Amino acid sequence: MLGSGDLTSNLSRQSEPSPSESTTPRVLTILSHVIEKLVARNDKLVDDMDKKLDGVSSGLARVGKSLNVFHGVRAPNISIVKYLERLYKYTSCSPSCFVVGYVYIDRLTHKHPDSLVISLNVHRLLVTSVMVASKMLDDVHYNNAFYARVGGVSNAELNRLEMEFLFLLDFGFVVSSRVFESYCSHLEKEMMINGASQRIERAIVSNAVDDVTELSVEDTQSSSPPQGMD
Amino acid sequence: MAIAAPGQLNLNESPSWGSRSVDCFEKLEQIGEGTYGQVYMAREIKTGEIVALKKIRMDNEREGFPITAIREIKILKKLHHENVINLKEIVTSPGPERDEQGRPDGNKYKGGIYMVFEYMDHDLTGLADRPGMRFSVPQIKCYMRQLLTGLHYCHVNQVLHRDIKGSNLLIDNEGNLKLADFGLARSFSNDHNANLTNRVITLWYRPPELLLGTTKYGPAVDMWSVGCIFAELLHGKPIFPGKDEPEQLNKIFELCGAPDEFNWPGVSKIPWYNNLKPTRPMKRRLREVFRHFDRNALELLERMLTLDPSERISAKDALDAEYFWTDPLPCNPKSLPKYEASHEFQTKKKRQQQRQHEENAKRQKLQHQQQHGRLPPGQQSGQAHPQMRSGPNQPLHGSQPPVAAGPSHHYGKPRGPAGGPGRYPPSGTSGGYNHPNRGGQGSSGYGSGPYPPQGRAPPYGSSSMPGAPPHASGGGSGYGVGGPNYPQGGPPYGGSGAGRGSNMMGGNRNQQYGWQQ
Repeated sequence: MLGSGDLTSNLSRQSEPSPSESTTPRVLTILSHVIEKLVARNDKLVDDMDKKLDGVSSGLARVGKSLNVFHGVRAPNISIVKYLERLYKYTSCSPSCFVVGYVYIDRLTHKHPDSLVISLNVHRLLVTSVMVASKMLDDVHYNNAFYARVGGVSNAELNRLEMEFLFLLDFGFVVSSRVFESYCSHLEKEMMINGASQRIERAIVSNAVDDVTELSVEDTQSSSPPQGMD
Repeated sequence: MAIAAPGQLNLNESPSWGSRSVDCFEKLEQIGEGTYGQVYMAREIKTGEIVALKKIRMDNEREGFPITAIREIKILKKLHHENVINLKEIVTSPGPERDEQGRPDGNKYKGGIYMVFEYMDHDLTGLADRPGMRFSVPQIKCYMRQLLTGLHYCHVNQVLHRDIKGSNLLIDNEGNLKLADFGLARSFSNDHNANLTNRVITLWYRPPELLLGTTKYGPAVDMWSVGCIFAELLHGKPIFPGKDEPEQLNKIFELCGAPDEFNWPGVSKIPWYNNLKPTRPMKRRLREVFRHFDRNALELLERMLTLDPSERISAKDALDAEYFWTDPLPCNPKSLPKYEASHEFQTKKKRQQQRQHEENAKRQKLQHQQQHGRLPPGQQSGQAHPQMRSGPNQPLHGSQPPVAAGPSHHYGKPRGPAGGPGRYPPSGTSGGYNHPNRGGQGSSGYGSGPYPPQGRAPPYGSSSMPGAPPHASGGGSGYGVGGPNYPQGGPPYGGSGAGRGSNMMGGNRNQQYGWQQ
């Protein structure tokens, strides 16, 4: 059940993206902040359960099993913000994919309330959700094999994660512009609470949401992005 | 999948998609076969309901879950209309793999993923191609009205179908017609500012603006296809059977006239206009060619086959056309005759056996005549090659098009994973189509499909492959109901070059079809 690939060592074999560039969309910063908070809270929850159980069994065992397939043996040592930046840098997916990916993860946790997003599964959840969002939204997107390389998991594992993800979501991929907008506001509010006022770049973003226009350019021949990074 | 605690019932939760196994269904028979997998007619064990199971091909590891399937599922989850096929659920199959203890190995998707559709007995192409089939005027009106109603529903929900053709219009024995196959469909915005791919819609049904390379388009593209189908129903055979894009455009211009800034303002700005514009003046001959059509039918057809997409009639306006409101009125679907369900996949098998029998007899005779002159191996093995699925019931007729598939039933239409081979044909010479998402399939599927050129389903068109069957779905489409109108006595399809003729209009479909006045 535990993810087979050692995500950290896979990643370290590849060139590390240069630290956050000025072009990094704010949505990444906001999103990683929100997710880091969520993960910290849930990790603590599991930890507290551990203490209560006093070593008899792991607190993790009390957590729902729905996300088990996303669990790694240990938490990768790449931070969430670095991981998101990496996904953005190499896959050049549209920023809205990160918001929609977040919508998906949020739906997942609501559908399976006993399953927690924790440091053991957050990276795999992120790469899968962003990839699925990109498949839904983006005109041009990389295939699973490429996302696997960027995300530091094997192609086969990512396919398995994708499949699991689609079914956990009950194939509910549609994100209306209204829902999209409300998630943007939510993320911005989260940021405000922390004193920093930032707005998500919606101009780029809302263009790519389905129900309205899911893609701005779809598979025109000239639009093939540079292949690979190796 | 939330599981109720012991002792509690999960009463208010409907089973979520994918929570059920394909074992809930009893497969009755295979009704389709394609490059993407199989289609089965099946019975839900609990309810006895008959459904169609379409397997999603998962064998392209690099692509993961096929994007066409993702988009089809997404769109069909959103659309609910009596003239749009109903996707009931997604089921999984754990597959035969077991671990050492003989338990299932825990990968519940290994055996495949199936989309469960309501079962439909026919598709329009297959039905029209039945021997002796003759649609009555009220029947044509009835089908056309349902087609337009379903399409109007899609368009108001901002979905472009982008692959309207006879084999994607499924018909049940209650006379209901439903749009199917949304693998190419997408949402659109009303401002038409988005750039969309122009490599959609099966060639014969593709509108001139796409052939001229526009990337900004809207619902009018589907309406052109509807016009082609309408004319085909009245005329008895496809009206624009081009074998590649330039020929397709030419056929359109020959009937609808050459476009210019006068009849289609802005046409000269469309990307490929200068390369593809007609070399000689051509005037519109639609009314002349189809002068035997009913006046109101011709009026409606005129407005559907309008070159300028902004002037083309919308689905909604078409429904208001005189044609549907004058005698004879469209009939009630329920009053339509019921036809014996026929799936090409099965009829083919029968015909294949019959053909093989005939061929064997012929070969024996031949061998008897020329003791030393054996047939060339290609010809020999070609006769009943198992891959040549579209063959047996569609022996090539000299006048048939050099295209791949027999009329394909929707379910059976092979569909490569992302976009499918042939859907996005390379426009250039080599790998051509460079979409990172589809390129992989594109290059493998297109033209290298295992199926020989035959049958009458239109190609997706590729100017880079003249003569070769550009439609990899080819015989694989299998499940079409059609084809039987081609005479059994046609030349054996293994014969080289047979069926290369491009003069589709000389086909013999009209012999059975009946010309509607």
